[in-house]
Amino acid sequence: MRICMVSDFFYPSIGGVEEHVYNLSQMLLRQGHKVVVLTHAYGDCSGVRYITGGMKVYYLPIKVCYNQCILPTAVCNVPMLRAVLLRERIDVVHGHSAFSALAHEALMVGSLLGLKTVFTDHSLFGFADLSAALTNNLLEVNLSMVNHAICVSHIGKENTVLRARVAKHRVSVIPNAVDTALFTPDPQQRPSNGTINIVVASRLVYRKGIDLLAGIIPRFKNIPYVHFIIVGDGPKRDLLEEIREKTNMQDRVEMVGAVEHAQVRDHLVRGHIFVNTSLTEAYCMAIVEAAACGLQVVSTSVGGIPEVLPKSLILLAEPEIDAIYTGILVAIERHLRCSFKVNPPATAGTVNGHVPTEANGRGKRRRNKANKATPTPQLPQPVLDQKSHTKPVLCPYRCNELVETLYNWEDVALRTVKVYDRVLQERSFTTSELVYAVWQHGSWFLVFFVVAHFMMRLLEAWRPRSRVEPAQDMPRSPS
Amino acid sequence: MVKKAQVKRRPWVKNLYSNREYPDNYTDPSFLKDLRTNLHVRIYTYREAVAGITVLNNQISCITGFLILYQLLLSDSVAPTTILVPSCGVTGLGYLFYRGRSLSWALLGEDSKTLVTVVLFGYLFSPMLHTLTQAISTDTIYTMTFFVLLANLMFSHYGLDVAMVSKAISLNAAIFGAICLASRLPSSYHAFVLLVEAAVFFVLYPIITEAKWRAQCMVPIFSICCLALYWISHPVLYLYATTTIFINFVCPLIFVWQQRFKFNIHGPWDEAIVEENTDENLDANL
Repeated sequence: MRICMVSDFFYPSIGGVEEHVYNLSQMLLRQGHKVVVLTHAYGDCSGVRYITGGMKVYYLPIKVCYNQCILPTAVCNVPMLRAVLLRERIDVVHGHSAFSALAHEALMVGSLLGLKTVFTDHSLFGFADLSAALTNNLLEVNLSMVNHAICVSHIGKENTVLRARVAKHRVSVIPNAVDTALFTPDPQQRPSNGTINIVVASRLVYRKGIDLLAGIIPRFKNIPYVHFIIVGDGPKRDLLEEIREKTNMQDRVEMVGAVEHAQVRDHLVRGHIFVNTSLTEAYCMAIVEAAACGLQVVSTSVGGIPEVLPKSLILLAEPEIDAIYTGILVAIERHLRCSFKVNPPATAGTVNGHVPTEANGRGKRRRNKANKATPTPQLPQPVLDQKSHTKPVLCPYRCNELVETLYNWEDVALRTVKVYDRVLQERSFTTSELVYAVWQHGSWFLVFFVVAHFMMRLLEAWRPRSRVEPAQDMPRSPS
Repeated sequence: MVKKAQVKRRPWVKNLYSNREYPDNYTDPSFLKDLRTNLHVRIYTYREAVAGITVLNNQISCITGFLILYQLLLSDSVAPTTILVPSCGVTGLGYLFYRGRSLSWALLGEDSKTLVTVVLFGYLFSPMLHTLTQAISTDTIYTMTFFVLLANLMFSHYGLDVAMVSKAISLNAAIFGAICLASRLPSSYHAFVLLVEAAVFFVLYPIITEAKWRAQCMVPIFSICCLALYWISHPVLYLYATTTIFINFVCPLIFVWQQRFKFNIHGPWDEAIVEENTDENLDANL
């Protein structure tokens, strides 16, 4: 099968959609399909490139307009997209992300060429404001021309069905996954002196609930063994730094700044508890990565997050400062009660043969524990039921195994291929069907549609399909 | 056979890791059960709508009042001083009413300093402002005035915090309109009076209405405007009266009637709303 992934978001940019496209493509390649990725040029990164595993990436020379997206002109890039799709002899065009204008354009060109189209929606949208209403209308028009849609969570499906008015049976739910082999726990990296590290890893923006986080950090002012590690950068960083300064927690709140996705794991394994404060989220890869690294996850219960992890791996809280604070307290309590936390550092000590330091460490730990005994009763008692306190914390390695059974990219790829197979058996849309669909879902778009259609006719006369030179496939490496 | 398989399989759960037996595009009966409609919708009564719209009508009447004064000055039916002195008195009374109990000598000194500066500079520059747009033809001036006063109407602050509102744009538009009109007046003293009136109508009057507005105030304002227009021009009077009545009574009727089409969808996909930390509330929240 020859598949074309289209999205404005791809490497070198970093994010959930990029991860998804990359990993899915790699898996499909490994399963013997031909995958081409289409994206716009990122600075120097333009032209055709081959990346890991012989994956071919077209960085199309289109100017970026806003937020990594190209200007949504609908018709201006038709010749280029048509040329790429025909040269690569594509069967299925797969667009990603509702924000990506390039994906929408490629899907339209694909359906005009009679190819099969699949669209993956990665985000949730409200209905209340004007911008949402406009975007939803655009999405509705575009999804009317798509054979099948994929959402990353059940909430995402409800949302997409509502806002784009697609038939329910044309929407599949295929979650994201996490490469559990990359996100492995390493308890030896955790501090051995009794401090509890709380890790936060997200872009520091409003939508990720950084304002909630800014309200939570001061609450731990008087619990000296709780430290924060904040990974990520963004406009709200100043706020967190101000909070850190005002509460005198400079030595306890570590601001790491932006890191490469590959290095996120190095910071995750240093922590015991992962806190996610997002205000809206379709799937949230960050909590799955953290769970794979063996951290206890405390997260706001918004969007698709309640669907992602089983109860044993996650503590859910309402998106309020008090609720999340209570959740973190429960997690700390659980951590203090569990037994295995002492072992990994202790064995490390003996292996290294630093007997005196080890003894010191133990003494220190004991002292810390004695100290802890006083503040712990002061902690406001969480209002959750008693059962949640006594529930044991899973061993980090056990967490990793569990997450691996829940999500892996191979499974995602297999399920996606099933969608492709189904779509390939469907009849492709005729032009009149497309016109009717667009007419029903947003007649204003017909202007663009008609222009695009006649452009395709013109191109067909000027550069007929039969005369387009097919691209050479790179011979697949035996590995 | 198919039925048997369906009986056997485990119930569908709303999570992403079980449900292996179900196809990916399976839709459970529980689909959209968390959907809520019209959660925070407020239905307004006709009375509330009528009372609320008077704010807009007040602004229209304010512009009408200013144009009436311009007409009086232009036709020389009233001497400029006859307009200036009463309006100064009304402004003084309005000031006392606005400040009320919070009035103190310090505040009075501060405010009179501002007043003296504005009036002095206005008086000094009025000859210049008078001739500033004199070279422009009268038709252009009136057209331009129409558009800038429309802009004033559009960007005025009616008590709603929306992106459209800009006090700066509405005020500047009105003052620009006043300067345009000033050039049609016979003398620079006339121009000065018109600019003072512009300041009273477009700077001070909105301040006091924002603080103390009552819907009943619309009745005397409307009657005064109608009476004045009755002496000036009958067609304008009809236009003004019908517009005001249409906006005040028919528009709220349409609004109240259209409210049954309000349809707002809420669900778990909505973004949670949290209070944003700003420089002002940061210390209070700590």
